[in-house]
Amino acid sequence: MLSQRSLLYLVVLVVLLGAGVGARAQGNYEIQVYGSDTVLPKSMMLELHSNFTPEGSTKTDDGTYPTNHQLHETVEATVGLNSWSEIGFYLFTSWQNGHGVQWVGDHIRPRVRVPDSWHWPVGVSLSTEVGYQRSVYSPDTWTWEIRPIVDKSVGRWYFAVNPALERTWHGPDTNQGVGFAPAAKVGYDFTKKISGGFEYYGAYGRVWSFSPLHDQQQQIFAVTDLNVSPKWELNFGVGWGATASTDHVIVKAIVGRRFSWGKSPVD
Amino acid sequence: MVNRREFMGLAGMATGASVVGRGARGLAEADYSLTIAPYSLEVAPKKFVKTTAYNGQVPGPLLRMKEGVPVTVDVVNRSGNDEVVHWHGLFLPPEVDGAMEEGTPHIAAGASTRITFTPRPAGFRWYHTHAMAGKDLKRGLYSGQFGFLFVEPKENPARYDQEVFLALHDWDGTMVGSDDGSMAPIYNVSTINGRRLGFGEPLRVKQGERVLLHVVNTSATDPHWIAMAGHTFRVVALDGNAVPSPQTVRMLHLSPAERVCAEVVMDNPGVWVMGEVRKSVMAAGMGMVVEYGGRSGKGVWQQPQTLDWDYLQFDATALRFGADALRPEGVQSSAGLNVVSIPMVFESKFAGHGAMDRWLINGRSFPDTETVALHQGQRYRLVFRNKSMDDHPVHLHRHTFELRRMNGRETRGILKDTVLVKAGTEAEVEFTANAPGLSLFHCHQQDHMDMGFMMLFRCS
Repeated sequence: MLSQRSLLYLVVLVVLLGAGVGARAQGNYEIQVYGSDTVLPKSMMLELHSNFTPEGSTKTDDGTYPTNHQLHETVEATVGLNSWSEIGFYLFTSWQNGHGVQWVGDHIRPRVRVPDSWHWPVGVSLSTEVGYQRSVYSPDTWTWEIRPIVDKSVGRWYFAVNPALERTWHGPDTNQGVGFAPAAKVGYDFTKKISGGFEYYGAYGRVWSFSPLHDQQQQIFAVTDLNVSPKWELNFGVGWGATASTDHVIVKAIVGRRFSWGKSPVD
Repeated sequence: MVNRREFMGLAGMATGASVVGRGARGLAEADYSLTIAPYSLEVAPKKFVKTTAYNGQVPGPLLRMKEGVPVTVDVVNRSGNDEVVHWHGLFLPPEVDGAMEEGTPHIAAGASTRITFTPRPAGFRWYHTHAMAGKDLKRGLYSGQFGFLFVEPKENPARYDQEVFLALHDWDGTMVGSDDGSMAPIYNVSTINGRRLGFGEPLRVKQGERVLLHVVNTSATDPHWIAMAGHTFRVVALDGNAVPSPQTVRMLHLSPAERVCAEVVMDNPGVWVMGEVRKSVMAAGMGMVVEYGGRSGKGVWQQPQTLDWDYLQFDATALRFGADALRPEGVQSSAGLNVVSIPMVFESKFAGHGAMDRWLINGRSFPDTETVALHQGQRYRLVFRNKSMDDHPVHLHRHTFELRRMNGRETRGILKDTVLVKAGTEAEVEFTANAPGLSLFHCHQQDHMDMGFMMLFRCS
């Protein structure tokens, strides 16, 4: 049961996050704050990210389609390489009236983490993501991201921060340099199987020279994680955009299934 | 001047055993002495694990005692924490058994004590710390505070060419989230007798020898499977007690605190590896080289593909079918006995994905668990129902119990002091209440007992 003090901490944290300047939803194709764990070797996590925008932009902007009523379906397959690294592949699609089902792009994302044997007090990993997306869905077509990940579970609480840096290789923002796009999460285990919390996504613009608030992307999601089985990952949330550059309302769902192969009892 | 025998006679007059403070020391030389102190264990060349150990060695010294012959042990605590030494598998009074929950006085940091007791029953026992560790994975059974204790029977019918004592241990643990949703330790280093595979002297044998292995799992939390390439084991005793039906097996399985005594006939000359069957644990170091005389080279390992173990293969099969006349010595006939059942349900209470579960017996967590009253001479059946997602190697202090039912299968004749109750299963054991005072019952996984998986019996 959530105590009054715990509830207070949660509210304060949410207010602080909300008062900060923002977040963004990774192009709204994969809306996820990463934890530091990597997928185990001889295993694959297959995830479907479903993101629907009930209230988004209604006009074409810089040649990109309006986001209103867009349904983004992203398939992510992540394979464990060893006990401290993995590699992920993304297939982005968009489903929208008038445009049908469209391929948007693909990314690849290798990731390494600090092994448990280092005894660090927090989980730490480093992800880098490179990929292409069609210009009708993102004016910046070739992008690169490096994402440090720090997380920690303390009793029923879970904290994660992803202070990501982004770079456009091809598109209007190529000359913008490195952008700052942090994400964070705080969760609370109500029961062994049900956790709830908030996720925050921002895009501040250039590092050391943030964009005006109007041009920043700021989103906060109320989310729940259902820990029904080690084989399944279930995350659902509703997000609100706080600036003019952010979609106003987004509903997201992540359904993941872990597969293993070639393992024997003696591994 | 009082000699040692006279002193022990006086000291043990009331209970047959005692704990004496520092002031009593110096009356006579103790039979054994243990010094608890910080120790840097070299598990592999230039790879050290900082721990706490007995007498600056891991495992601690092998203590050989004679059944029924009183002994004195001086214990000096040069560690920075309160400590207590538990004599696992012995029938000792609670004052010296080595569990503070039973009333054994702790040994304060910097203090020393003298313990006297009369060791019994005969067989392979061990001694170890019984201190809490909590979140400190350097304390308690996570440390190097363990050693072999062999109580020799008054007459020893067994003759072996070589007796070898082996302790399986895991080191350098980290708490991580586990599949069952809560925190549990994982280990970076695993050893046999404090050494990783390839470090230290091999086990040297001669062709045709019969070697008796005394293996104990001293790990704080993890079970282990042990195999010897090119050889099989003939299991003759579990937890130091002879089994009714010795059997030849490919591998041994030991949960924390369990012991297995097994004969190996050295009939396959070469250089072999004996070690953990699971590859990840072998890679962490749990193995040792077995080298025949005149042979050299790298140890050969033959990887088993399955994990095999079943307590009941060693039981008194005939007894299962009512042939009570065939019951082995030490196994009480239950014919005509009024056996009182004590149900014990094991459950966990979730405390968050970033915390260790709280453990409950019959809905309560120690020290709030019920202290069950036992009547001297009464036969009891403990009915374990493990409703949790974890296995539990449960241990009853100061007694030996007989396995009677394992997950629905009747059994007779296997005497143990620790039994593994697998997740989601039931087990039943019987014992006769014959140890006045408090007896501690607990899961031998350090993280479980620290989080409340304990309860007491009081016999009067």
